This record gives sequence, C-alpha cells and structure tokens, in this order.
Amino acid sequence: MAFHRPQKVRMFHRLRTFLGSTLGKKVAMSITGLLLVLFLIAHLAGNLLFFKDQDRSAFDHYAQMLEENPLLPLAEIGLLVLFVVHLGLAFLTTRQNREARATRYRVSQALGKRTLGSSTMLITGILVLAFVVVHLLDFRFKERAPDGLGAMLERRLSEPIGAGIYLLGVIALGIHLSHAVRSALRTLGADHPRFNELLQRGALTLAGVLFLGFAAFPLVVVGSRLGSTLASSSADEGAPTTPADPGLAPLPVSADGQGH
Amino acid sequence: MHLTLHIWRQQNATSAGGFETYRVDDVLPEMSFLEMLDVLNERLTREGREPVAFDHDCREGICGMCSLVINGAPHGPDRATTTCQLHMRRFHDGETIYIEPFRATAFPVLKDLVVDRSAFDRILAAGGFITARTGSPPDANSVPVPKVDADLAMDAAACIGCGACVAACKNAAAMLFVGAKVSHLALLPQGKPERRRRALQMVQQMDAEGFGGCTNERECEAACPKGISVANIARLNREYLWASLADPE
Repeated sequence: MAFHRPQKVRMFHRLRTFLGSTLGKKVAMSITGLLLVLFLIAHLAGNLLFFKDQDRSAFDHYAQMLEENPLLPLAEIGLLVLFVVHLGLAFLTTRQNREARATRYRVSQALGKRTLGSSTMLITGILVLAFVVVHLLDFRFKERAPDGLGAMLERRLSEPIGAGIYLLGVIALGIHLSHAVRSALRTLGADHPRFNELLQRGALTLAGVLFLGFAAFPLVVVGSRLGSTLASSSADEGAPTTPADPGLAPLPVSADGQGH
Repeated sequence: MHLTLHIWRQQNATSAGGFETYRVDDVLPEMSFLEMLDVLNERLTREGREPVAFDHDCREGICGMCSLVINGAPHGPDRATTTCQLHMRRFHDGETIYIEPFRATAFPVLKDLVVDRSAFDRILAAGGFITARTGSPPDANSVPVPKVDADLAMDAAACIGCGACVAACKNAAAMLFVGAKVSHLALLPQGKPERRRRALQMVQQMDAEGFGGCTNERECEAACPKGISVANIARLNREYLWASLADPE
C-alpha cells in the first residue's frame, strides 16, 4: 500500500486521534498517574532515610548523592512532563464530562461503588498540586541551609503551619490514590475475575503505605518536638526548645511509619 | 395506595421544563410503575389536561424502551429490573416519588420524560455489526466457541440499549453500552475479523455524540437492568488500546 500516507504522518495522525478520544485521554492519564506513583514509591523509600539516625546524616548523604547525579535534571524534566500531561488531561476530561452531563438530577443517589476518593478526584488533585508547589518552594528552590536538608525538613515540619500543610497535602494524596491506582489499572484494561480482588486490595494497600509513609514525617517531627517540650518543661528548665534542637526525644513512631 | 408524584414536565425539546406535583389515589400494589402512570394519564385526559409523555413498548423488560429516573435511580429501586417490571408493591402508601427523564447532553429531552436515545443507534451504525453475511444459525459445534467466551458474549448481548448506564453515570458516559456491544461481537468468531475497526469507529462515534468518559465508579453496572458487568468496559479499553496500536490503517 505504497500510496498510503507516509508512515510518520500516519503515526502522528494516529496519536492525535488516540489522544483526542475519551479513552485515549484516560489511558494517557492512567499511564502518567501510575508513573507518578512509581516516583512516589522511590521518593518515600529514599526519604525514609530521614529516620535512620538522629543527626540526619544518612538523609543528607542521600540528598547529596541525588544532587550530584548528572541525570537528575533529566529526571526532573521527566517528572514535570508527567505532571503537566496528567493535569492537563484531568482538566480536559473533567470539562468534557461536565458538558456531557450539563443538567443535574433533582434527586440522586450513589448505587455503585462511589467512594470519597472517586468523587473528589479533581479536588484532591488540585490540593496535591498546591502542595507540590509549596513543597518545591520549600526544598527545591530554596537555598540549602548550611546544616543540611534534614535539618531544613525538620525545621519546616516543626512549625505548626508547616506540619499542617504537609499533613493536609499527604491526606489529599492518600484520598486521591485510594481511587487512582485501581481506576488507572482498570482504564488500562486490567480486569479479570481471578485477580480483581487482589488488584483492589493491592491498590488500596499501596495507597495506604504511601499515605502512612509520608504522613510519618510531619507526625514524627511534631510528636518528637512535643515530647521534648514536655520533657524540658517537666525538667523545669523553662528555656524554649529551638526547632532544630539536636537533643530531640527518641522517635517512637518512626518504626510505625516504615513498617506499613 | 396514595402517592405524591413530582414529575418533570417539559413541553418540547427547546422549552424549559420543571417539576409538577400530582396526587394519585387508587394505586394498587399489583400495578406496574407504568400502569400507575397510565392511571394518572387517564385521569389527566378526563380532566382535559395533557397526559405525561413517557417511553414504553414491550412492557416485558426486554425491549429497552422504558426509561425514567425514579427517586434518583434509573429504572427505579430494584436491581436488574426495568421500569416496566417495577411494581408498586415496592413503594409504600403515602410515599413521595420524584420522576425525572434520563439526563445526558447526548440524550436531549423531547417531551416530559421522553428522551432522544438515537445516539445509541448511530454508535451501533458506526460498527456494531458484522459486514459480511454469516448465514443462518450454524449447526451446533460446527463453529467451535469456547464455553467461557460463549457465556461472556451472551452476557454482553443481554444489553437492551436502554441507556440507564448513561443516566446513572455522573459523566453521562456510554462506556458500558459500547463495552457490551464491542465485547459481544469481539468474543465470537464471526465478530473477530472486524474487531479493531469496530472498536475504533464505535468509540469515535461515542465521542462525537458528546458522551463523557469513564471514572470507574461503577454506577452504570448498578443501574443496568440486565446486570451488564463493568468487565465489558475493561474489555473495551483493551480492544480500543490494542486497535489504536495495531490497526494497520
């Protein structure tokens, strides 16, 4: 069929048709979303080094190793592309969905498997986006403190507002993921009577692990700070503890954060 | 039984509609939901008022013509039951019932509770068939079909195209309908040769009609009077994805 359109034009045409369709958009959203989840797994695994020692040296060393890697900018650009594509398609499909159901019912009820996660995907997604902006401003675009990234993180999470923002961001992420992972797999066609239960449980477990893992950071830092404040006030020293106090109490919750 | 009905009334496709309230007495528990509406319409006609327009045909639960969203549920509160097979014994004396048309941009209201579902016909016309004559039913086992595939195809073929899936979906997606139609043919040997083209063309028409996308909330499955499984949506996703990658044209 030599008289057909050239291969390159056909490929481009096909990609455009695919991404122009509702299914294609959802497939692209699923793939970018799942890749972002893979990033979250790696991000959490690396960051758990924060809990390895009291002076955060393992965490600082890990951060330094990442920054010295010449491939880091490439990875960052890749992440940015994933994020932008995922977000852009989310807004496009949401607009299309709203147009498809322009009139609402007077009475409506959820009869299927609607969950908090499934009905708030756009809201939790926007919250996660806002959180990511704050998170990048905090650590990616801020000058590194001389005492290291671990100390910076600890100071940020010691402020009530900082801890609150991080906890809210993680909660939004957890709710988003509670629906996202299984939904993305289903969009990619993963459905089999033998594996559906496993996929459902596995997706929820993954969301739970990521939620607990990331929630451990603000909770442990605030918890240990409260512990040290209580300890110092009971010792009746009266001196206020600085957020970066190296003599923080032991971190009893850290094992919990890593264990799930 | 005495009932209070809030029914969506709309003069035609272009006019704005609204709810009107009717009190209906003399409703028997043995009546079907549509017979209850017949009783109301008889009275409205006697009073010289315009009867409520609603779709119905076989009243046996097999044609897919009846619709209605009853108290927020397409085809009413019973699972796997069409509106015509819903009976008034399901309601209690003095109950208030909201009756609305199927809501979707692709299903415009024509009058009162009647919506135009010809978008489904155009999706079927885009590829929901086999282009070559496959003849009369073949002799048993002359075309081998695995039992599992035959069962899945039969389950998918149970779709009566009523549109309850679209009505139930918050995105007014037609994925369950298209999934059932694509699955039904893709699973059988007669439908396999054209499965890629069929998936591409039916999805293209589905989008052109203005249906939304699937958010995997499974409201469609719960509302379907024929119990069509969302496994058919996953199969449609696989068919479409594979066709997009591998279709030679």
